Amino acid sequence: MTNIVLKPKANKYIVAFVSVCLLIVGMVIHIAFGSSSISFIDVLKALFASDDSKQTTIIQTLRLPRAVLAALIGASLAVAGALMQAITRNSLASPQVFGVNAGASLAIVMALILFPELNSQTTVYIAFLGAALGGITVYLFASGGKTTHVKLALAGMAVHLFLSSLTQGVIVLNEQATDVLYWLVGSINGKDWTHVKILFPWFVLGLFFAFSMSRSISILVLGENMATGLGEKVKWIRFFAGVIVVMLAGASVAVAGPIGFVGLIVPHIARKLVGGDYQRILPFSALLGAILLVYADVLSRFIAYPFESPVGIVTALIGAPFFLYLAKKGRNIKQ
Amino acid sequence: MKKIKKGKLAIIYAIISILLVLAGCGSNQDSSKENLDNKQKVTVQHELGKTSIPKNPKKIVVLELSFVDALQGLGMKPIGIADDNKTDMIEKLVGDKIDYTSVGTRQQPNLEVISSLQPDLIIADYQRHKEIYKDLEQIAPTIELKSRESTYEENVDSFKTIAKAVGKEKEANQRLDEHEKTIAELKNELKEEKDQTVLPAVVRDTSFQAHTSSSFDGEFLEKLGLKNAVQNKEAYAEMNLEQLSDINPDILILANNEGKLLTDEWKGNSLWKNLKAVKNDKVFVVDRDLWTRYRGVVSAEAIGKDTVKLLNEE
Repeated sequence: MTNIVLKPKANKYIVAFVSVCLLIVGMVIHIAFGSSSISFIDVLKALFASDDSKQTTIIQTLRLPRAVLAALIGASLAVAGALMQAITRNSLASPQVFGVNAGASLAIVMALILFPELNSQTTVYIAFLGAALGGITVYLFASGGKTTHVKLALAGMAVHLFLSSLTQGVIVLNEQATDVLYWLVGSINGKDWTHVKILFPWFVLGLFFAFSMSRSISILVLGENMATGLGEKVKWIRFFAGVIVVMLAGASVAVAGPIGFVGLIVPHIARKLVGGDYQRILPFSALLGAILLVYADVLSRFIAYPFESPVGIVTALIGAPFFLYLAKKGRNIKQ
Repeated sequence: MKKIKKGKLAIIYAIISILLVLAGCGSNQDSSKENLDNKQKVTVQHELGKTSIPKNPKKIVVLELSFVDALQGLGMKPIGIADDNKTDMIEKLVGDKIDYTSVGTRQQPNLEVISSLQPDLIIADYQRHKEIYKDLEQIAPTIELKSRESTYEENVDSFKTIAKAVGKEKEANQRLDEHEKTIAELKNELKEEKDQTVLPAVVRDTSFQAHTSSSFDGEFLEKLGLKNAVQNKEAYAEMNLEQLSDINPDILILANNEGKLLTDEWKGNSLWKNLKAVKNDKVFVVDRDLWTRYRGVVSAEAIGKDTVKLLNEE
């Protein structure tokens, strides 16, 4: 078994227990804070109440779905990031850094302008298309072989910035069409159960497939030759992992815009906590990603309190220094 | 090889410096000529300093819609407008087909087209065109005034400044007196009970943007006696359904975007159904151009008439 080589650094049961507790506490805090002050006990009561009072409605139809959506998107993006880091064997990879998010965002904005009456279900497929195009563009750079991690990340960032600037341009030219900020940084403000319903099937499918191929991915990380030697079909693993990335990241962007840096940070934290085996990294990435975005979304409300700010600003605030740290660390290892 | 390269470089430098000198001469000549032609000048104070403008400028280019409105109020028409390439929007604002050249979008006006029109005066928006002030100054005397995200009072000030720049201060005072009278009449006509709160907002597919007491439409409605439900220094505020149900305004005035709307998603929620404005059937959909884009003395009156018509209907 590969696990022997890749020793976990902490007891996985303890990590799992603490993470689940953190997630539950985070969700409760998330639900408890809002513009209308509802006492903590009333919040808990409202969660299980079945009346149609204002408080219950606020909790059940607005705050709860938003918290659930934050967790689902955080998990999706984190797993997508972990998969990308595995298939490119690049610790700087993530849906944002490699242009997947920006591609999905651009595709949706274009579609919204060309076909304003588009329903949300169809937008998901358009997001998939854009995510795939963005990802493939960067991946073509990766298959060159000799590019270093930092160079590849730079190429990815360049594609990301290029696609973002196109998005910005398209919106500037059609100023009334939609919100610039939303399609550049992403936000989960004002989302409800309809959005959860759109994301949920893709979330389940994506996570199911990701977890079921986690063993192959662990082997892939050991190196292409080693993996081929161990009887793995490297190309197919990469392809399927890529499809899962497009599914998870694309669907997330379709419901909340391109929230960045979750997919970059979380797999690293997961690796630190539970070691290098993807059979553990993937589920823990999902858990930690959910935690990160739930807490980030709580913070996002305090930027311009009592009004809303996009959560993507908070993740960028945490993520950008982390990215620089990784880039620096990566360079030291390479040299 | 190296020598040849150096020689070539020297020639290129020489050509560039000659061109620069020529260009310098050219612009100098132009301005000295202008000085001779228009000895009389008006100095106008604006957001970015003082600018002297030839007296009674005829050819004016404007880069925001509120300036079209201001000139309209003074009985003048610009020769160039940053109209976002929407002629019908200008037609609706002026109420007539006028002859003008589009100088591109308000966000990115086309400097070449502006300069080809050889204007006497350019009126630019302080927020959007701060960065290109120097470029505009090279084309013609430019004044930068508040328009985007500005309040109603700031727009009235801009109107006065424009009047001074075009030498029509008398007309402007008359027009403003008339304006005050119109507002007073509209305020009398308005049958709303006192202490009603109103919230104007722009609705898009992903956002509900409330226009607060510091926005153009918000402040103007307060002048008509309708208190804004959100008293804030920022002109616009992003809001979700929870906040809206907390604020619970008596009257909602929605300037809807084209296409999908966030409020359509909200309509199924009982919080929306329980809003005072929804229950009492006081949700009004208005024209977004008039309510939030034109921003000027003339359009304020139109907004006032719109308000009276909508609120008095029942």
